[in-house]
Amino acid sequence: MEFTLLWAALTGLGGLWLGSRLVEEVAFDDLLSASIAGLAGGRVVEMLSQGLNPLTNPMDLLIVRGGVDTTAATVVALLTLYLVSGRAISRLDAAAPVAMFGLAGWHLGCLWRGACLGTASNLPWAWSEPGSVISRHPVEIYAALGFLAAAWLVSRLPGHPGARAGAGLALAAAIRLATEPIRLSIGGGPVPEYMIGLGIGIAVGVIAFSRGRPGHTAAPLPRSGP
Amino acid sequence: MADLGRPAVVNIWASWCHPCRSEAPLLNAAHDQFGDRVAFIGIDVQDNQADAKEFIAEFGLDIPHYFDRNRAVPNHYGVIGTPGTLFFDEEGVLVGTHLGVIDERALALGIDELLGG
Repeated sequence: MEFTLLWAALTGLGGLWLGSRLVEEVAFDDLLSASIAGLAGGRVVEMLSQGLNPLTNPMDLLIVRGGVDTTAATVVALLTLYLVSGRAISRLDAAAPVAMFGLAGWHLGCLWRGACLGTASNLPWAWSEPGSVISRHPVEIYAALGFLAAAWLVSRLPGHPGARAGAGLALAAAIRLATEPIRLSIGGGPVPEYMIGLGIGIAVGVIAFSRGRPGHTAAPLPRSGP
Repeated sequence: MADLGRPAVVNIWASWCHPCRSEAPLLNAAHDQFGDRVAFIGIDVQDNQADAKEFIAEFGLDIPHYFDRNRAVPNHYGVIGTPGTLFFDEEGVLVGTHLGVIDERALALGIDELLGG
């Protein structure tokens, strides 16, 4: 295990924990279970797509740096959260802003593993790799800030069942879509999958709002104070 | 390295190295995308050639590989353990070293640095 990746993962968990403290009605254990299941599911799918059999190479499951399929990880994490939290849509709604905090933490974890930078940029806040003269977009910091803003926004939405979950999925996909063009990748990022996630999130949110009756009332983020 | 006339990514691997199995498909994808502008070279260390050939065939690693039984190359460049990845500019100067499994972001960034952003 490379410790830089471990620190990044712990930063993500820190985000989840902080979110679960700020937003009521969410069990940190449920979110932790969903995160671990999502990571495992995403890793299995990534191995299969790389032609690696997880059954004959079980130890490779631990090598998350070898790649984790984002889409599979998201689906497995959402399913796990739904199952372990009592199969109630309201629990997914409550979890949405907390998950945004966790994702913000994961992206901020780039600071530990030296993986914040994207395409070249001349903007005043662009950074350079140590020893490099090429300044670059701190794309993972952009994503982290986007997820923090999304967490605040989702927590402020009215409590129509499914609205916060849908909005959370749509915003997560939108943030990844918006940052993907300035993120460096091999073979291009999963843009179609993000677009599908955006579409599903918007559809769920619209249906939830159109049904009209506010139900779940998770506490919004505190404005200020102790 | 300077004789290549272009930047190079040198990956140190072995057939017995589990993390190298996860890294191989990524290197293949990078070679497919950047192979016309960047040279990709594999250094197989502390291995036997039969296993190495099987590994290369299994992953279809379509890049030149060199057999280095005694780890002369990684030792020369201070690479501890396997795998490791070295980045050379077009003049053959070592400009980056990644120890351990390299992920997509780190490999893409290293290549982008070689190509001048």
